[in-house]
Amino acid sequence: MGMDFKFSRLVLKNWKNFAYADVAIQNRIFLVGPNASGKSNFLDVFRFLRDLASSGGGLGESIGRRGGVTAIRCLAARRDPDVEIHVELMDSQGKSRWEYEIAFKQDKQHRPLLRKERILCNGEEILDRPNQQDSDDPEQLTQTYLEQGSVNQKFRDLAAFFSSIRYLHIVPQLIREPDRSVGRSNDPFGGDFLEQIAKSPDRKREARLRRIKEALRVAVPQLHEIELWRDARGTPHLRGKYQHWRPQGAWQTEEQFSDGTLRLMGLLWAAMEGGGPLLLEEPELSLHPEIVRVLPLMFARVQRLTERQIFISTHSPDLLRDEGIGLDEVLLFVPEVEGTSVTLAESHRDVRDLLHGGISLADIVVPKTRPENVQQLTLFGAA
Amino acid sequence: MTGLVVVSAAVEGIVDEAVVRKLIVQAGGRPGTVYGKSGKPHLRRQIQGYNNAARHSPWIVLVDLDRDAECAPPLCGQWVPDPAQHLCFRVAVREIEAWLMADAETLASFLSVARSRLAADPERLLEPKTEMVNLARHSRRREIREDMVPRERSGRQVGLAYAARLMEYVETRWRPEVAAQGAESLRRAIACLRQLIQEPA
Repeated sequence: MGMDFKFSRLVLKNWKNFAYADVAIQNRIFLVGPNASGKSNFLDVFRFLRDLASSGGGLGESIGRRGGVTAIRCLAARRDPDVEIHVELMDSQGKSRWEYEIAFKQDKQHRPLLRKERILCNGEEILDRPNQQDSDDPEQLTQTYLEQGSVNQKFRDLAAFFSSIRYLHIVPQLIREPDRSVGRSNDPFGGDFLEQIAKSPDRKREARLRRIKEALRVAVPQLHEIELWRDARGTPHLRGKYQHWRPQGAWQTEEQFSDGTLRLMGLLWAAMEGGGPLLLEEPELSLHPEIVRVLPLMFARVQRLTERQIFISTHSPDLLRDEGIGLDEVLLFVPEVEGTSVTLAESHRDVRDLLHGGISLADIVVPKTRPENVQQLTLFGAA
Repeated sequence: MTGLVVVSAAVEGIVDEAVVRKLIVQAGGRPGTVYGKSGKPHLRRQIQGYNNAARHSPWIVLVDLDRDAECAPPLCGQWVPDPAQHLCFRVAVREIEAWLMADAETLASFLSVARSRLAADPERLLEPKTEMVNLARHSRRREIREDMVPRERSGRQVGLAYAARLMEYVETRWRPEVAAQGAESLRRAIACLRQLIQEPA
Protein backbone atom coordinates (compact mmCIF):
# COMPACT_ATOMS: atom_id res chain seq x y z
CA MET A 1 0.00 0.00 0.00
CA GLY A 2 1.40 3.34 -1.03
CA MET A 3 1.34 6.61 0.80
CA ASP A 4 -1.95 8.37 1.39
CA PHE A 5 -2.26 11.96 0.31
CA LYS A 6 -4.70 14.80 0.60
CA PHE A 7 -5.15 17.69 -1.78
CA SER A 8 -4.37 21.00 -0.12
CA ARG A 9 -4.42 23.49 -3.00
CA LEU A 10 -5.54 23.71 -6.60
CA VAL A 11 -4.48 26.27 -9.19
CA LEU A 12 -6.10 26.32 -12.62
CA LYS A 13 -5.42 28.27 -15.77
CA ASN A 14 -7.77 28.14 -18.73
CA TRP A 15 -9.53 25.00 -17.54
CA LYS A 16 -13.07 25.04 -18.90
CA ASN A 17 -15.04 27.80 -17.10
CA PHE A 18 -12.00 28.97 -15.21
CA ALA A 19 -9.61 31.46 -16.73
CA TYR A 20 -7.81 31.39 -13.41
CA ALA A 21 -8.51 29.88 -10.03
CA ASP A 22 -6.39 29.36 -6.94
CA VAL A 23 -8.00 27.81 -3.88
CA ALA A 24 -6.94 26.10 -0.68
CA ILE A 25 -8.59 22.74 -0.21
CA GLN A 26 -9.66 21.29 3.12
CA ASN A 27 -10.48 17.76 4.08
CA ARG A 28 -14.08 18.38 3.09
CA ILE A 29 -15.26 21.00 0.63
CA PHE A 30 -18.66 22.19 -0.51
CA LEU A 31 -19.02 23.63 -4.01
CA VAL A 32 -21.85 26.14 -4.24
CA GLY A 33 -22.96 27.99 -7.36
CA PRO A 34 -25.69 28.38 -9.99
CA ASN A 35 -26.26 25.86 -12.74
CA ALA A 36 -23.53 25.77 -15.36
CA SER A 37 -21.18 27.83 -13.20
CA GLY A 38 -18.60 25.06 -13.38
CA LYS A 39 -18.98 23.02 -10.21
CA SER A 40 -18.84 19.80 -12.23
CA ASN A 41 -15.99 21.18 -14.32
CA PHE A 42 -14.11 21.91 -11.13
CA LEU A 43 -14.63 18.33 -9.95
CA ASP A 44 -13.62 17.21 -13.43
CA VAL A 45 -10.06 18.42 -12.77
CA PHE A 46 -9.72 15.66 -10.21
CA ARG A 47 -11.30 13.13 -12.52
CA PHE A 48 -8.83 14.27 -15.18
CA LEU A 49 -5.91 13.61 -12.83
CA ARG A 50 -7.37 10.20 -12.11
CA ASP A 51 -7.71 9.47 -15.82
CA LEU A 52 -4.13 10.59 -16.41
CA ALA A 53 -2.78 8.12 -13.89
CA SER A 54 -5.17 5.22 -14.49
CA SER A 55 -4.58 2.23 -16.69
CA GLY A 56 -6.31 2.79 -20.00
CA GLY A 57 -5.91 6.52 -19.40
CA GLY A 58 -2.97 8.81 -20.03
CA LEU A 59 -2.72 12.26 -21.56
CA GLY A 60 -4.10 11.58 -25.04
CA GLU A 61 -7.00 9.48 -23.80
CA SER A 62 -7.93 11.83 -20.95
CA ILE A 63 -8.04 14.83 -23.24
CA GLY A 64 -9.75 12.89 -26.03
CA ARG A 65 -12.50 11.77 -23.66
CA ARG A 66 -13.19 15.40 -22.93
CA GLY A 67 -13.49 16.38 -26.57
CA GLY A 68 -9.93 17.57 -27.15
CA VAL A 69 -7.94 20.56 -26.00
CA THR A 70 -10.29 23.08 -27.59
CA ALA A 71 -13.21 21.69 -25.57
CA ILE A 72 -11.20 21.93 -22.36
CA ARG A 73 -9.64 25.33 -22.88
CA CYS A 74 -11.48 28.22 -21.30
CA LEU A 75 -13.44 30.30 -23.77
CA ALA A 76 -12.15 33.42 -22.10
CA ALA A 77 -8.55 32.39 -22.87
CA ARG A 78 -6.96 34.65 -25.44
CA ARG A 79 -3.24 35.31 -25.38
CA ASP A 80 -2.32 32.43 -23.13
CA PRO A 81 -3.30 29.23 -24.85
CA ASP A 82 -1.91 26.63 -22.41
CA VAL A 83 -4.25 24.80 -20.10
CA GLU A 84 -2.60 24.44 -16.70
CA ILE A 85 -3.30 22.45 -13.57
CA HIS A 86 -1.24 22.73 -10.44
CA VAL A 87 -2.10 20.71 -7.34
CA GLU A 88 -0.51 20.62 -3.93
CA LEU A 89 -0.82 17.60 -1.69
CA MET A 90 0.16 16.61 1.81
CA ASP A 91 0.80 13.07 2.87
CA SER A 92 -1.56 11.83 5.56
CA GLN A 93 1.02 12.32 8.32
CA GLY A 94 1.45 15.92 7.19
CA LYS A 95 5.19 15.37 6.82
CA SER A 96 5.80 15.87 3.14
CA ARG A 97 4.31 18.32 0.71
CA TRP A 98 4.03 17.33 -2.91
CA GLU A 99 3.23 19.37 -5.99
CA TYR A 100 2.19 18.22 -9.41
CA GLU A 101 2.02 20.65 -12.31
CA ILE A 102 0.90 19.96 -15.82
CA ALA A 103 0.35 22.27 -18.79
CA PHE A 104 -0.72 21.31 -22.27
CA LYS A 105 -2.00 22.71 -25.55
CA GLN A 106 -2.54 21.22 -28.97
CA ASP A 107 -0.20 20.97 -31.90
CA LYS A 108 -1.07 21.82 -35.50
CA GLN A 109 -2.68 18.41 -36.00
CA HIS A 110 -4.86 19.11 -32.93
CA ARG A 111 -3.02 16.49 -30.90
CA PRO A 112 -2.49 17.25 -27.22
CA LEU A 113 1.03 18.35 -26.52
CA LEU A 114 2.61 18.54 -23.09
CA ARG A 115 4.09 21.97 -22.34
CA LYS A 116 5.12 21.31 -18.79
CA GLU A 117 5.16 18.49 -16.27
CA ARG A 118 6.74 19.12 -12.90
CA ILE A 119 6.81 17.26 -9.64
CA LEU A 120 8.16 18.66 -6.40
CA CYS A 121 8.52 17.05 -3.02
CA ASN A 122 9.05 19.46 -0.12
CA GLY A 123 10.03 22.08 -2.65
CA GLU A 124 12.66 19.90 -4.24
CA GLU A 125 12.26 19.24 -7.92
CA ILE A 126 11.88 15.56 -8.79
CA LEU A 127 10.75 16.04 -12.35
CA ASP A 128 10.93 18.99 -14.70
CA ARG A 129 9.79 18.62 -18.26
CA PRO A 130 10.36 19.33 -21.08
CA ASN A 131 13.78 17.79 -20.42
CA GLN A 132 16.68 16.64 -22.57
CA GLN A 133 14.91 13.42 -23.66
CA ASP A 134 11.93 15.48 -24.76
CA SER A 135 14.05 17.70 -26.97
CA ASP A 136 15.77 14.62 -28.42
CA ASP A 137 12.43 12.99 -29.14
CA PRO A 138 9.53 15.48 -29.19
CA GLU A 139 7.08 12.59 -29.60
CA GLN A 140 7.55 11.96 -25.87
CA LEU A 141 5.59 15.14 -25.18
CA THR A 142 2.38 13.30 -26.04
CA GLN A 143 2.63 11.38 -22.77
CA THR A 144 3.06 12.29 -19.12
CA TYR A 145 5.61 10.55 -16.96
CA LEU A 146 2.83 10.01 -14.45
CA GLU A 147 1.16 7.50 -16.73
CA GLN A 148 4.36 5.60 -17.54
CA GLY A 149 5.18 2.83 -15.09
CA SER A 150 8.74 2.61 -16.37
CA VAL A 151 9.70 6.17 -15.44
CA ASN A 152 7.53 7.02 -12.45
CA GLN A 153 9.25 4.99 -9.68
CA LYS A 154 9.98 8.12 -7.64
CA PHE A 155 6.39 9.24 -7.66
CA ARG A 156 4.45 6.01 -8.08
CA ASP A 157 2.57 6.72 -4.84
CA LEU A 158 1.37 9.95 -6.34
CA ALA A 159 0.14 8.19 -9.48
CA ALA A 160 -1.59 5.55 -7.32
CA PHE A 161 -3.23 8.30 -5.32
CA PHE A 162 -4.55 10.05 -8.42
CA SER A 163 -5.98 6.82 -9.75
CA SER A 164 -7.77 6.23 -6.42
CA ILE A 165 -9.95 9.34 -6.86
CA ARG A 166 -13.59 8.36 -7.10
CA TYR A 167 -16.48 10.31 -8.61
CA LEU A 168 -20.04 9.50 -7.69
CA HIS A 169 -23.28 10.80 -9.10
CA ILE A 170 -25.71 8.01 -8.47
CA VAL A 171 -28.50 7.53 -10.95
CA PRO A 172 -31.00 5.16 -9.32
CA GLN A 173 -32.24 3.97 -12.71
CA LEU A 174 -28.79 2.62 -13.49
CA ILE A 175 -28.58 0.68 -10.25
CA ARG A 176 -31.89 -0.89 -11.13
CA GLU A 177 -30.84 -1.68 -14.68
CA PRO A 178 -27.19 -2.59 -14.43
CA ASP A 179 -27.24 -4.12 -17.93
CA ARG A 180 -26.95 -0.63 -19.33
CA SER A 181 -23.49 -0.22 -17.94
CA VAL A 182 -22.30 -3.78 -18.07
CA GLY A 183 -18.54 -4.22 -17.94
CA ARG A 184 -17.87 -0.79 -16.52
CA SER A 185 -16.03 -0.70 -13.27
CA ASN A 186 -16.15 2.26 -10.91
CA ASP A 187 -19.15 3.50 -12.83
CA PRO A 188 -19.79 6.93 -11.33
CA PHE A 189 -23.49 6.61 -11.97
CA GLY A 190 -23.88 3.50 -9.87
CA GLY A 191 -24.27 0.99 -12.70
CA ASP A 192 -21.84 -1.39 -11.01
CA PHE A 193 -22.95 -0.58 -7.48
CA LEU A 194 -24.46 -4.02 -6.88
CA GLU A 195 -21.42 -5.67 -8.42
CA GLN A 196 -19.15 -3.69 -6.09
CA ILE A 197 -21.14 -4.81 -3.09
CA ALA A 198 -21.10 -8.39 -4.34
CA LYS A 199 -17.36 -8.52 -4.79
CA SER A 200 -16.42 -7.09 -1.41
CA PRO A 201 -15.36 -9.74 1.15
CA ASP A 202 -18.29 -11.32 3.01
CA ARG A 203 -17.51 -10.05 6.48
CA LYS A 204 -16.78 -6.54 5.34
CA ARG A 205 -19.94 -6.51 3.27
CA GLU A 206 -22.09 -7.74 6.11
CA ALA A 207 -20.62 -5.23 8.53
CA ARG A 208 -21.21 -2.39 6.08
CA LEU A 209 -24.72 -3.43 5.19
CA ARG A 210 -25.49 -3.65 8.88
CA ARG A 211 -24.26 -0.09 9.39
CA ILE A 212 -26.19 1.09 6.37
CA LYS A 213 -29.28 -0.57 7.75
CA GLU A 214 -28.81 1.25 11.06
CA ALA A 215 -28.36 4.56 9.29
CA LEU A 216 -31.29 3.93 6.96
CA ARG A 217 -33.60 3.22 9.87
CA VAL A 218 -33.64 6.94 10.41
CA ALA A 219 -34.68 7.69 6.84
CA VAL A 220 -36.71 4.61 5.99
CA PRO A 221 -37.99 3.25 9.30
CA GLN A 222 -40.13 0.56 7.70
CA LEU A 223 -37.04 -1.10 6.19
CA HIS A 224 -35.90 -3.83 8.58
CA GLU A 225 -33.28 -5.94 6.83
CA ILE A 226 -30.97 -5.50 3.88
CA GLU A 227 -28.93 -8.22 2.30
CA LEU A 228 -27.20 -9.21 -0.88
CA TRP A 229 -29.11 -11.85 -2.78
CA ARG A 230 -28.32 -13.65 -6.02
CA ASP A 231 -31.02 -14.67 -8.42
CA ALA A 232 -31.08 -17.98 -10.35
CA ARG A 233 -28.64 -16.57 -12.89
CA GLY A 234 -26.23 -15.49 -10.19
CA THR A 235 -26.91 -11.79 -10.72
CA PRO A 236 -26.51 -9.90 -7.44
CA HIS A 237 -29.41 -7.91 -6.04
CA LEU A 238 -29.91 -5.89 -2.95
CA ARG A 239 -33.04 -6.80 -1.16
CA GLY A 240 -34.71 -5.35 1.84
CA LYS A 241 -37.43 -6.54 4.14
CA TYR A 242 -40.13 -4.02 4.73
CA GLN A 243 -42.42 -4.09 7.69
CA HIS A 244 -45.77 -4.36 6.14
CA TRP A 245 -49.37 -5.31 6.52
CA ARG A 246 -48.21 -8.90 6.01
CA PRO A 247 -47.20 -10.39 9.35
CA GLN A 248 -43.80 -11.57 8.09
CA GLY A 249 -43.03 -8.40 6.20
CA ALA A 250 -42.19 -8.44 2.51
CA TRP A 251 -38.91 -8.65 0.65
CA GLN A 252 -38.31 -6.12 -2.08
CA THR A 253 -35.35 -5.85 -4.41
CA GLU A 254 -33.61 -2.74 -5.64
CA GLU A 255 -36.15 -2.51 -8.44
CA GLN A 256 -38.78 -1.56 -5.91
CA PHE A 257 -36.62 0.68 -3.70
CA SER A 258 -37.36 4.37 -3.99
CA ASP A 259 -34.84 6.67 -5.68
CA GLY A 260 -34.04 8.25 -2.33
CA THR A 261 -33.40 4.91 -0.63
CA LEU A 262 -31.10 3.78 -3.42
CA ARG A 263 -29.17 7.03 -3.52
CA LEU A 264 -28.74 7.06 0.23
CA MET A 265 -27.51 3.46 0.17
CA GLY A 266 -25.01 4.34 -2.54
CA LEU A 267 -23.79 7.39 -0.62
CA LEU A 268 -23.41 5.50 2.62
CA TRP A 269 -21.58 2.66 0.90
CA ALA A 270 -19.18 5.03 -0.83
CA ALA A 271 -18.63 7.05 2.33
CA MET A 272 -17.55 3.91 4.19
CA GLU A 273 -15.08 2.88 1.53
CA GLY A 274 -11.59 4.04 2.24
CA GLY A 275 -9.41 5.38 -0.55
CA GLY A 276 -8.73 8.54 -2.46
CA PRO A 277 -10.87 11.65 -2.56
CA LEU A 278 -14.56 11.08 -3.07
CA LEU A 279 -16.27 13.51 -5.44
CA LEU A 280 -19.99 13.71 -4.82
CA GLU A 281 -22.32 15.45 -7.20
CA GLU A 282 -25.42 16.87 -5.49
CA PRO A 283 -25.89 14.22 -2.81
CA GLU A 284 -29.14 15.93 -1.82
CA LEU A 285 -31.08 14.71 -4.86
CA SER A 286 -34.28 12.82 -4.03
CA LEU A 287 -33.58 12.96 -0.31
CA HIS A 288 -35.84 14.46 2.33
CA PRO A 289 -34.54 17.88 3.52
CA GLU A 290 -34.24 16.59 7.07
CA ILE A 291 -31.87 13.88 5.85
CA VAL A 292 -29.98 16.38 3.71
CA ARG A 293 -29.30 18.69 6.60
CA VAL A 294 -27.50 16.01 8.58
CA LEU A 295 -25.40 14.81 5.63
CA PRO A 296 -22.47 17.13 6.55
CA LEU A 297 -22.45 15.67 10.07
CA MET A 298 -22.63 12.16 8.67
CA PHE A 299 -19.72 12.83 6.30
CA ALA A 300 -17.69 14.45 9.08
CA ARG A 301 -18.08 11.44 11.31
CA VAL A 302 -17.48 8.83 8.65
CA GLN A 303 -14.36 10.74 7.54
CA ARG A 304 -12.96 10.12 10.99
CA LEU A 305 -13.05 6.40 10.18
CA THR A 306 -11.98 6.44 6.55
CA GLU A 307 -9.71 9.54 6.50
CA ARG A 308 -11.13 10.09 3.05
CA GLN A 309 -11.27 13.57 1.51
CA ILE A 310 -14.78 14.47 0.34
CA PHE A 311 -15.71 17.13 -2.25
CA ILE A 312 -19.41 17.85 -2.54
CA SER A 313 -21.25 19.96 -5.08
CA THR A 314 -24.61 21.19 -3.86
CA HIS A 315 -27.55 23.49 -4.44
CA SER A 316 -29.12 22.66 -1.15
CA PRO A 317 -29.72 25.29 1.53
CA ASP A 318 -30.61 22.44 3.88
CA LEU A 319 -27.18 20.93 3.50
CA LEU A 320 -25.49 24.27 4.11
CA ARG A 321 -27.51 24.86 7.26
CA ASP A 322 -25.10 22.79 9.33
CA GLU A 323 -23.27 25.17 11.64
CA GLY A 324 -20.10 23.10 11.70
CA ILE A 325 -19.32 23.80 8.02
CA GLY A 326 -16.23 25.98 7.98
CA LEU A 327 -16.01 29.09 5.83
CA ASP A 328 -12.78 27.66 4.49
CA GLU A 329 -14.69 24.57 3.37
CA VAL A 330 -17.13 26.44 1.14
CA LEU A 331 -16.19 27.34 -2.42
CA LEU A 332 -18.39 29.92 -4.11
CA PHE A 333 -18.74 29.75 -7.89
CA VAL A 334 -19.82 33.00 -9.47
CA PRO A 335 -20.03 33.29 -13.28
CA GLU A 336 -18.44 36.45 -14.61
CA VAL A 337 -17.64 37.81 -18.05
CA GLU A 338 -14.11 36.41 -18.01
CA GLY A 339 -15.12 32.98 -16.73
CA THR A 340 -16.24 31.73 -13.36
CA SER A 341 -14.58 33.03 -10.25
CA VAL A 342 -14.02 30.54 -7.43
CA THR A 343 -13.45 31.87 -3.97
CA LEU A 344 -13.54 30.54 -0.45
CA ALA A 345 -16.44 31.86 1.58
CA GLU A 346 -13.89 32.97 4.20
CA SER A 347 -12.40 35.48 1.78
CA HIS A 348 -15.65 37.46 1.69
CA ARG A 349 -15.82 40.03 4.41
CA ASP A 350 -19.60 40.31 4.18
CA VAL A 351 -20.09 36.55 4.61
CA ARG A 352 -18.30 36.70 7.94
CA ASP A 353 -20.19 39.80 9.02
CA LEU A 354 -23.57 38.35 8.08
CA LEU A 355 -22.74 35.09 9.81
CA HIS A 356 -21.65 36.76 13.02
CA GLY A 357 -24.84 38.77 12.86
CA GLY A 358 -26.74 35.51 13.24
CA ILE A 359 -27.71 34.71 9.64
CA SER A 360 -27.21 31.10 8.56
CA LEU A 361 -24.55 30.24 6.01
CA ALA A 362 -27.26 28.85 3.72
CA ASP A 363 -29.13 32.14 3.78
CA ILE A 364 -25.94 33.96 2.85
CA VAL A 365 -24.32 31.90 0.14
CA VAL A 366 -27.37 30.70 -1.76
CA PRO A 367 -28.47 34.24 -2.74
CA LYS A 368 -24.85 35.16 -3.37
CA THR A 369 -24.55 32.48 -6.02
CA ARG A 370 -28.04 32.95 -7.41
CA PRO A 371 -28.22 32.96 -11.19
CA GLU A 372 -28.81 36.33 -12.81
CA ASN A 373 -32.31 37.09 -14.00
CA VAL A 374 -34.05 34.12 -12.42
CA GLN A 375 -37.25 36.09 -12.58
CA GLN A 376 -37.23 35.70 -16.38
CA LEU A 377 -38.32 32.11 -15.83
CA THR A 378 -41.62 33.29 -14.43
CA LEU A 379 -42.37 34.73 -17.88
CA PHE A 380 -41.79 31.37 -19.53
CA GLY A 381 -44.84 30.41 -21.50
CA ALA A 382 -46.22 33.93 -21.57
CA ALA A 383 -47.64 34.82 -24.94
CA MET B 1 -47.23 3.31 21.59
CA THR B 2 -51.00 3.80 21.61
CA GLY B 3 -52.55 5.63 24.50
CA LEU B 4 -49.57 7.95 24.99
CA VAL B 5 -50.19 11.63 24.70
CA VAL B 6 -48.57 12.98 21.55
CA VAL B 7 -46.74 16.25 22.06
CA SER B 8 -45.77 18.37 19.07
CA ALA B 9 -42.73 20.57 19.38
CA ALA B 10 -40.94 23.53 17.81
CA VAL B 11 -37.28 24.19 18.46
CA GLU B 12 -34.31 26.18 17.18
CA GLY B 13 -32.03 23.37 16.02
CA ILE B 14 -31.35 19.67 15.81
CA VAL B 15 -29.66 19.39 19.21
CA ASP B 16 -32.71 21.06 20.78
CA GLU B 17 -34.83 18.51 18.95
CA ALA B 18 -32.93 15.63 20.58
CA VAL B 19 -33.39 17.31 23.99
CA VAL B 20 -37.08 17.93 23.54
CA ARG B 21 -37.76 14.39 22.32
CA LYS B 22 -36.03 12.99 25.36
CA LEU B 23 -37.95 15.29 27.70
CA ILE B 24 -41.29 14.31 26.17
CA VAL B 25 -40.53 10.60 26.48
CA GLN B 26 -39.33 11.00 30.07
CA ALA B 27 -42.47 12.91 30.96
CA GLY B 28 -44.53 9.96 29.71
CA GLY B 29 -45.57 11.35 26.33
CA ARG B 30 -44.79 10.53 22.76
CA PRO B 31 -42.93 13.04 20.56
CA GLY B 32 -45.01 14.15 17.60
CA THR B 33 -43.78 16.26 14.73
CA VAL B 34 -40.89 18.54 15.61
CA TYR B 35 -41.02 21.86 13.74
CA GLY B 36 -38.62 24.73 13.15
CA LYS B 37 -34.96 23.69 13.43
CA SER B 38 -33.95 26.65 11.31
CA GLY B 39 -32.83 29.03 14.01
CA LYS B 40 -34.47 31.43 16.38
CA PRO B 41 -35.66 34.14 13.96
CA HIS B 42 -37.49 31.46 11.97
CA LEU B 43 -39.17 30.18 15.12
CA ARG B 44 -40.19 33.68 16.05
CA ARG B 45 -41.93 34.13 12.70
CA GLN B 46 -43.86 30.87 13.10
CA ILE B 47 -44.86 31.21 16.75
CA GLN B 48 -48.41 32.36 16.06
CA GLY B 49 -49.02 29.19 14.06
CA TYR B 50 -47.73 26.95 16.83
CA ASN B 51 -49.77 28.82 19.40
CA ASN B 52 -52.82 28.43 17.23
CA ALA B 53 -52.30 24.67 16.95
CA ALA B 54 -51.84 24.47 20.74
CA ARG B 55 -55.47 25.40 21.25
CA HIS B 56 -56.39 21.83 20.39
CA SER B 57 -53.36 19.64 21.15
CA PRO B 58 -50.31 19.70 23.42
CA TRP B 59 -47.28 21.63 22.23
CA ILE B 60 -43.90 22.54 23.57
CA VAL B 61 -41.95 25.43 22.09
CA LEU B 62 -38.38 25.72 23.31
CA VAL B 63 -36.13 28.73 22.71
CA ASP B 64 -32.81 29.88 24.07
CA LEU B 65 -32.86 33.01 26.19
CA ASP B 66 -29.44 34.02 24.80
CA ARG B 67 -28.96 37.67 25.70
CA ASP B 68 -32.40 38.75 24.58
CA ALA B 69 -33.49 39.53 28.13
CA GLU B 70 -32.20 39.28 31.68
CA CYS B 71 -34.53 36.43 32.51
CA ALA B 72 -37.22 34.34 30.89
CA PRO B 73 -40.57 36.03 31.74
CA PRO B 74 -40.10 39.16 29.56
CA LEU B 75 -39.20 36.94 26.60
CA CYS B 76 -42.36 34.87 27.05
CA GLY B 77 -44.42 38.04 27.03
CA GLN B 78 -42.83 39.22 23.81
CA TRP B 79 -43.16 35.92 21.98
CA VAL B 80 -46.59 34.77 23.12
CA PRO B 81 -48.57 37.50 24.82
CA ASP B 82 -51.63 35.28 24.68
CA PRO B 83 -50.57 31.62 25.14
CA ALA B 84 -53.02 28.90 24.14
CA GLN B 85 -54.31 26.39 26.67
CA HIS B 86 -52.03 23.52 25.64
CA LEU B 87 -48.91 25.49 24.86
CA CYS B 88 -45.87 24.94 26.98
CA PHE B 89 -43.55 27.79 26.00
CA ARG B 90 -40.17 27.25 27.61
CA VAL B 91 -36.99 29.26 27.63
CA ALA B 92 -33.59 27.63 28.19
CA VAL B 93 -31.32 29.87 30.29
CA ARG B 94 -29.29 30.95 28.40
CA GLU B 95 -28.68 28.21 25.87
CA ILE B 96 -29.59 24.54 25.66
CA GLU B 97 -25.94 23.66 26.38
CA ALA B 98 -26.46 24.86 29.95
CA TRP B 99 -29.06 22.12 30.42
CA LEU B 100 -26.56 19.53 29.25
CA MET B 101 -23.80 20.88 31.49
CA ALA B 102 -26.13 20.62 34.46
CA ASP B 103 -25.59 16.85 34.38
CA ALA B 104 -21.91 17.43 35.08
CA GLU B 105 -20.97 13.87 35.88
CA THR B 106 -22.02 12.23 32.60
CA LEU B 107 -20.99 15.20 30.45
CA ALA B 108 -17.50 15.29 31.95
CA SER B 109 -17.17 11.59 31.26
CA PHE B 110 -18.56 11.90 27.73
CA LEU B 111 -16.19 14.76 26.91
CA SER B 112 -13.28 13.21 28.81
CA VAL B 113 -12.59 16.31 30.86
CA ALA B 114 -12.10 16.76 34.59
CA ARG B 115 -15.39 17.31 36.33
CA SER B 116 -13.95 20.32 38.09
CA ARG B 117 -13.87 22.12 34.75
CA LEU B 118 -17.66 22.25 34.62
CA ALA B 119 -19.37 25.33 35.99
CA ALA B 120 -21.29 24.75 39.22
CA ASP B 121 -24.17 26.90 38.07
CA PRO B 122 -24.45 26.63 34.27
CA GLU B 123 -27.49 28.90 34.07
CA ARG B 124 -25.28 31.81 35.09
CA LEU B 125 -23.04 31.36 32.08
CA LEU B 126 -23.51 34.12 29.54
CA GLU B 127 -22.42 31.94 26.62
CA PRO B 128 -22.90 28.26 27.39
CA LYS B 129 -22.18 27.21 23.82
CA THR B 130 -18.78 28.89 23.87
CA GLU B 131 -18.21 27.25 27.22
CA MET B 132 -19.12 23.83 25.80
CA VAL B 133 -16.60 24.30 22.99
CA ASN B 134 -13.99 25.36 25.53
CA LEU B 135 -14.66 22.25 27.60
CA ALA B 136 -14.20 20.11 24.49
CA ARG B 137 -10.92 21.92 23.85
CA HIS B 138 -9.62 20.35 27.07
CA SER B 139 -10.80 16.87 26.18
CA ARG B 140 -8.30 14.08 26.59
CA ARG B 141 -9.76 12.50 23.46
CA ARG B 142 -8.52 13.79 20.15
CA GLU B 143 -11.72 12.90 18.31
CA ILE B 144 -13.81 14.97 20.73
CA ARG B 145 -11.52 17.96 20.23
CA GLU B 146 -11.51 17.59 16.46
CA ASP B 147 -15.26 17.10 16.18
CA MET B 148 -16.37 19.86 18.53
CA VAL B 149 -13.74 22.59 18.42
CA PRO B 150 -13.68 24.72 15.25
CA ARG B 151 -10.50 24.74 13.22
CA GLU B 152 -8.68 28.03 13.43
CA ARG B 153 -9.69 29.20 9.97
CA SER B 154 -13.22 27.87 9.92
CA GLY B 155 -14.77 31.15 11.02
CA ARG B 156 -17.45 29.20 12.86
CA GLN B 157 -18.30 29.01 16.52
CA VAL B 158 -18.32 25.21 16.63
CA GLY B 159 -16.47 22.25 15.15
CA LEU B 160 -17.63 20.18 12.21
CA ALA B 161 -19.44 17.45 14.14
CA TYR B 162 -20.40 19.49 17.20
CA ALA B 163 -24.12 18.90 16.82
CA ALA B 164 -23.62 15.19 16.13
CA ARG B 165 -21.59 14.78 19.32
CA LEU B 166 -24.13 16.62 21.46
CA MET B 167 -27.00 14.63 19.98
CA GLU B 168 -25.09 11.45 20.75
CA TYR B 169 -24.61 12.64 24.32
CA VAL B 170 -28.27 13.56 24.77
CA GLU B 171 -29.46 10.24 23.42
CA THR B 172 -27.01 7.99 25.24
CA ARG B 173 -25.92 9.64 28.49
CA TRP B 174 -27.79 12.77 29.49
CA ARG B 175 -30.05 12.45 32.55
CA PRO B 176 -32.65 15.24 32.50
CA GLU B 177 -33.84 14.61 36.06
CA VAL B 178 -30.28 15.00 37.39
CA ALA B 179 -29.68 18.05 35.22
CA ALA B 180 -32.92 19.63 36.44
CA GLN B 181 -31.42 19.91 39.92
CA GLY B 182 -28.80 22.27 38.58
CA ALA B 183 -30.87 24.14 36.01
CA GLU B 184 -34.07 25.80 37.16
CA SER B 185 -35.31 26.53 33.64
CA LEU B 186 -35.03 22.82 32.81
CA ARG B 187 -36.82 21.84 36.01
CA ARG B 188 -39.69 24.09 35.03
CA ALA B 189 -39.77 22.75 31.49
CA ILE B 190 -40.05 19.18 32.79
CA ALA B 191 -42.77 20.17 35.25
CA CYS B 192 -44.68 21.97 32.52
CA LEU B 193 -44.44 18.99 30.17
CA ARG B 194 -45.65 16.61 32.89
CA GLN B 195 -48.66 18.77 33.50
CA LEU B 196 -49.35 19.04 29.79
CA ILE B 197 -49.26 15.26 29.41
CA GLN B 198 -51.40 14.58 32.46
CA GLU B 199 -54.14 16.94 31.38
CA PRO B 200 -54.41 16.31 27.68
CA ALA B 201 -56.63 18.18 25.34
